[in-house]
Amino acid sequence: MLDKPASALRLRERLIESERLMDETGCYDGITDLELRNQDPLKFETLHTKLRAYCVSAREMARRISASPGVREVGEMVVAIYTPEGDAIALSNGIMVHVHTMSRFIKWMIRQGYEENPRIVDGDIFANNDAFIGTVQVPDVMDVVPIFHTGKLVGWAGAVCHELEAGGITPGGDVALAQERFTEGLFVCAEKVGQNDELRRDYVIRCERNLRMPIYWVLDEKAKVASCIDMRESVKALIDEIGLDYWMKVSKEFIEEGRRAQLARTRQLTVPGIYRGHTFYGHVTKGKPGYQPLGDPDWLYNIPIEMEITTGGKIIMDFEGTQPWGYHSMNCTPAGMDGGMFVTLTQHMNFEGLVNDGAWMATELKLPHGTWTNPDNEMVATATSWALLLPAYGVFQRLLSRSFIARGFVEEAFVGQVNSPMIEMGGTSQYGTLFGMAHFECAAAGSGALAIKDGLDTAYVGWNPESDMGNIEIWEQNMPMVYIGRSIVANSGGAGKYRGGCAFLSTWLVSKTDHLRLVTSEHSSRVFDNGGLCGGYPAPTCQKHRAVRDSNIFELAQKGAPLAHHTGTNPYRSELEVRLEGQHVTMEGPYITAPHKTGDVFTHSYNGGGGYGDVLERDPLKTASDVENGYLTREAAENVFGIVLDEDEDGYPVANLEATKRHRAEMRSRRLARARPVSEWMAKERERVKAVDFAPEVKKMYASAIKLSPRFTRDFSTFWDVDAKSTFGVE
Amino acid sequence: MTSYSKEVIADLVAGTLPWPQTRRVMSAYKDDDRFFKYVAVLQDRVGWSDPILLPVGDHLFICQSGDERVTRCECGHSFGDYRKNWKLKASIIVRDSEEALREIYPNSDLPDPEWMEIREFICPQCGTLHEVEAAAPGYPIVHDFEPDLEGFYRDWLGKPLEPLEPMDKES
Repeated sequence: MLDKPASALRLRERLIESERLMDETGCYDGITDLELRNQDPLKFETLHTKLRAYCVSAREMARRISASPGVREVGEMVVAIYTPEGDAIALSNGIMVHVHTMSRFIKWMIRQGYEENPRIVDGDIFANNDAFIGTVQVPDVMDVVPIFHTGKLVGWAGAVCHELEAGGITPGGDVALAQERFTEGLFVCAEKVGQNDELRRDYVIRCERNLRMPIYWVLDEKAKVASCIDMRESVKALIDEIGLDYWMKVSKEFIEEGRRAQLARTRQLTVPGIYRGHTFYGHVTKGKPGYQPLGDPDWLYNIPIEMEITTGGKIIMDFEGTQPWGYHSMNCTPAGMDGGMFVTLTQHMNFEGLVNDGAWMATELKLPHGTWTNPDNEMVATATSWALLLPAYGVFQRLLSRSFIARGFVEEAFVGQVNSPMIEMGGTSQYGTLFGMAHFECAAAGSGALAIKDGLDTAYVGWNPESDMGNIEIWEQNMPMVYIGRSIVANSGGAGKYRGGCAFLSTWLVSKTDHLRLVTSEHSSRVFDNGGLCGGYPAPTCQKHRAVRDSNIFELAQKGAPLAHHTGTNPYRSELEVRLEGQHVTMEGPYITAPHKTGDVFTHSYNGGGGYGDVLERDPLKTASDVENGYLTREAAENVFGIVLDEDEDGYPVANLEATKRHRAEMRSRRLARARPVSEWMAKERERVKAVDFAPEVKKMYASAIKLSPRFTRDFSTFWDVDAKSTFGVE
Repeated sequence: MTSYSKEVIADLVAGTLPWPQTRRVMSAYKDDDRFFKYVAVLQDRVGWSDPILLPVGDHLFICQSGDERVTRCECGHSFGDYRKNWKLKASIIVRDSEEALREIYPNSDLPDPEWMEIREFICPQCGTLHEVEAAAPGYPIVHDFEPDLEGFYRDWLGKPLEPLEPMDKES
């Protein structure tokens, strides 16, 4: 092992050496024995707990400095402590997706020779939001500061906040209309933005002149710097206490211990083998204002994943067969894909012990070059990479869950995360000022079901395990809209023995503005982008927005007449149409249109999670309660779940167990009568495949997958007994 | 080492363990003896005696049946050699029209049947819905899980299985 504290090696040489040692020994930094842990395990554990406490405390302090409701209310922030080479030792709660992306940022600076130019000295502040250097998307702005002790670089402290406004082609941070890098907003490409613990004035001026609401970004910068300094000083005090040599050694052992713990946990919780799953994502943009000519009008992405768990405990995820990058904002970089892996692992397996970059080192991602997971062009946009990232890691959760079920840890099986459609806006605020912001109540979607209970209603997203939707009053302070309804969407969880968690829908009245631009993103159109497990159905994906322009809502309110507070459960006529007069608009896919003004009404809905198990096994008593509370409609209870409900003397639903039994027996018989052998269906379907009798978007999806992936081509050809290349005209 | 009685595991699997206790199981260190207790619970549940080697679904198991290892429904129906995709021997309902999708999604925005269909894989004997796929038309049926059964028993459980004859590719 290198003698790190006394090493005369430059950081870059030290990083290369560390990677070489990992390759040679299979252990992080060549640490084959956890000497310090073995010498004094209590001291070892206590030190890591202290580091974690530093991180949690620094984050909480920073949230109180931040001006952004995203950071303050929803907790869109994370902090971490790193080795000199940029590997995470300890981290806070929050948006843990960015722990490893910050690692990439630090390593990128080291590889680019930042030690020589612009130099790395005590008191420096470096910032980045370039996903090809190391983040997920432009609004994820990260700051890191070096930690020096007795003149030596002994680590880094880093912090990330998700900004609500990034100065892109549309207001907000997840800039849906970005089709190339040049429309995504303000880029900070691994820049030295501060010295002597102070942000440079010229950097702040750049932010102030390029953002619609710089108060969020600039105060978040201050919050991040404060948290980094706080962690830095805590680490320095700790080193004074334990000695520099001990620190340099123990900080590395923490990571190797984390790597070993992840491998052991995989061996404990799963079953080795090959797991497969897929999801899809549809996008409808044809004819929408603002889309540039390079963009495809409408498109369909397939996301197949093959996961291998080796008998050594390593998890390997392979995305071969997925689609190429495109001129849209939903591409992702390897840093973002790493981030998705890290946040999923920390929630589903690596939830005890020393959580750090060691977990990531016990896994491997195979990201085919040229696909949306690993674009071979660094000019592509990644502003809404979560659109594809979230469904992809939802598949990962379902694959892991299958392994938990096989092993018997049914309480850990979780059908998975779903997409979290987002609404962003800008224009003139209710205060008469320029504004732009993303709304983060999407942090509380419905989760997938578990294998032992229903999913969480309005309480989950994959990217932030804290999942706080924020208070209505706080959001109302920041946007020229007021809530006239926020309600559970009935039947929005995937059906199953255990249903997915339900989503919610918000209905707003545009207020005190004559210019409000609304843009939505990251919801899949025309296909489900989630799934169920063991017989559970996918959750419906919200695809449509409803608005009423020039509504008569003020007149109705003055008369005390009923208002529309939600869209209702009639798919063919919404409550808005029933109760409000005005120009009714229903738009599929992303909502991009002319500005709204006072008196307009707008709705936006979020996703629910997939179901688990055969729907005909659902508990009738739970279902009666669901109907009573609006999570399910009576119609769905009877027709989908096979549960007959009567009413008690007060009119509340009660399950009729005998009638339910009879009804379900009939439904099961009908199911069997309707079903046919798979072989029969395949024979007929093969003729359709041979004739390429598919919608243009489906044809295009197959052709691009076949062009990029030999394995997809082989599997498709074998399954249908066709020559996939000639069938789809691929050279 | 954490350990639970077979009764607790049975209640957990059935979803009837009271939530406070379930929450404690979720938060505690995992019980290293879970697998064989779990299999014993499932074995009590099925009406057949072939030993379960690995659960692969809510009502789907790989079991030892004489010299063969087959994927079997809880009702006893066999889907054949576990190394092959059991779905190809199942029955199927495909929802590829608005009418058929609306039966499951009464008030939601529906997928475009030209872009996506729902495939329900059903036991032809008892009618249990074992798996649902949502896929584009023409998408090959996915083989969800190919466990390394022998590696699992040998390396992780320390109870090696007898080696199997090579699989007949044509059957």
